[in-house]
Amino acid sequence: MSTTSPTAVSTLPAGSRRRRWSPAQILLLLPLLALFMGFFVVPLLVMFVISLLSGNPVSDDNVHFTLANYRQLFSDRFYLDVLVETLKIGVITTAIAVLVGYPLAYQLARARSPRVRTMLLMAILSPMLTGIVVRTYAWMTLLADHGIINSGLQSLGLTEGSLPLMYNTFGVVIALVHIFVPFMVLTVTGVISKIDLRLEEAARSLGASRFQAFLQVTLPLSAPGILAGSLLVFSLAISSYVTPILMGGFSVLTLPILIYQQLSGVFNFAFAAALSFLLLLVSLIIVIAYFRVVKKVAEGAFS
Amino acid sequence: MSIPWGTVTFRALIGTLLVFLLAPIVVVVIFAFNSSTFMSFPLTGFSLKWFSNFFSSDQFMDSFYLSLRLAAITAVISMVIGTMASLVLIRGNFPGADVLSALFLSPLMLPAILTGLALFQYYVILGWPRTFTGLLVAHVIVTVPYLIRTVTAVLQGSNMALEEAARSLGASEVRTFFEITLPLIRPGIIAGGIFSFIVSFDQFAVSLFLVHAGLTTLPIQLFNYLKFSFDPTIAAAAVVSVVMSVVVVLVIEWTVGLQEYAGL
Repeated sequence: MSTTSPTAVSTLPAGSRRRRWSPAQILLLLPLLALFMGFFVVPLLVMFVISLLSGNPVSDDNVHFTLANYRQLFSDRFYLDVLVETLKIGVITTAIAVLVGYPLAYQLARARSPRVRTMLLMAILSPMLTGIVVRTYAWMTLLADHGIINSGLQSLGLTEGSLPLMYNTFGVVIALVHIFVPFMVLTVTGVISKIDLRLEEAARSLGASRFQAFLQVTLPLSAPGILAGSLLVFSLAISSYVTPILMGGFSVLTLPILIYQQLSGVFNFAFAAALSFLLLLVSLIIVIAYFRVVKKVAEGAFS
Repeated sequence: MSIPWGTVTFRALIGTLLVFLLAPIVVVVIFAFNSSTFMSFPLTGFSLKWFSNFFSSDQFMDSFYLSLRLAAITAVISMVIGTMASLVLIRGNFPGADVLSALFLSPLMLPAILTGLALFQYYVILGWPRTFTGLLVAHVIVTVPYLIRTVTAVLQGSNMALEEAARSLGASEVRTFFEITLPLIRPGIIAGGIFSFIVSFDQFAVSLFLVHAGLTTLPIQLFNYLKFSFDPTIAAAAVVSVVMSVVVVLVIEWTVGLQEYAGL
């Protein structure tokens, strides 16, 4: 079973299936459960309550329950535009991540020599372990107006002015793809490596070319992996903050950036909480879809 | 003999994609050692001044030590409480096991920026100031899923019949744990701990709302620096972080094997 999916914790065929909690189990689980209850579940619930308040309960008087924050969110064109921009960046990033990630995943799953596989995996994982700020900085040095690509093109006499590679959606998407594509590769590789090679060989022995065999056998069978990877990349892309703000240079406004502005700039507690819940809701839908796909893959519903 | 154009095209494609993945990192490394403030070719000469800039800045060093300390303590706590929970979760033989697994893995899927924001609002409501402990709690929550993932992966791959054998031969539950289970899952705990360290050390989103001027982690410090200056000091900091990552990848490869870790 692939550990790249968050459902890696599954049940072992337990010899004796106990249906009650044993004291030892409770003792082992308690620290983590208490931590998650006190500092994850309750804070998220508190955030939801705050989103229904008319102001900051600590500093304001006369705070009462209201739906005004959500009403403002859905009636103001500006906030809808931000939501659309966020989703747009998510969709484009995901689409490009599929195009970039799939060939790499295919190569990784099908490489015969373990040496080649390890090298490929290192190439894919090493950037993943380099911080998000550092990798965004790397793209800034490449794509800025006086960056390496622009100055290179100009010194070769290929362009006159600077190409607008950054401070727009293009720059944000390129950097986001680079940052999140490893997640796509790992998810898809897990699925491709489980596809029986003999299916492809059978297609070829029946006269299909290698490319035809790939298109008609391997690609459809790996579709659930593409779907699972896409959902993962999408949810990561719509919730990122550093990359859109640095690559977009304040000309690209996404939901996480707006949330931060509401808190640090305007200190509008309640509205920031409502915006967060919008983002949480979108992510939750993605997460549920992801788990359904992963579960179906595990059950073999797609093959 | 005809040239296999399909294979050639595919190899070229893979090569291009690897360049896309690695080029940004390589460029940063090159300019960390280049003497010019401006990042463009041709190179102006070898220099270590950006490293000395980084290592002599009080701000960067304070953040660097804070992040190291935070990551180390986070990793240890995650290893202990994450392993404890994994031992129970893996068997899944109690009511609500699926719900608990989903809960403990959910910080991986929910936007980390919201985990940080929710905690920040929670601390404000409770009247707690922003402290190291507050930051630590948040980091443990976002790193524990990685720990659970690695430990359960190893547990699933290992031979649990050994445990039953030890028990049936009369070993106590505690003795079975220390003599059979722990040695079996040690690689998973080590790999998970290292992963927790790196995730915490590089953590940005969850820290964003929980830091303040006197308590700033390295990624946030780098981000703040980047908003105003663009010189290769950041590149030097990046090299330090890349070196740390490569060491981590190598250690994972030596302890559990990368392919096992990635679930291949």
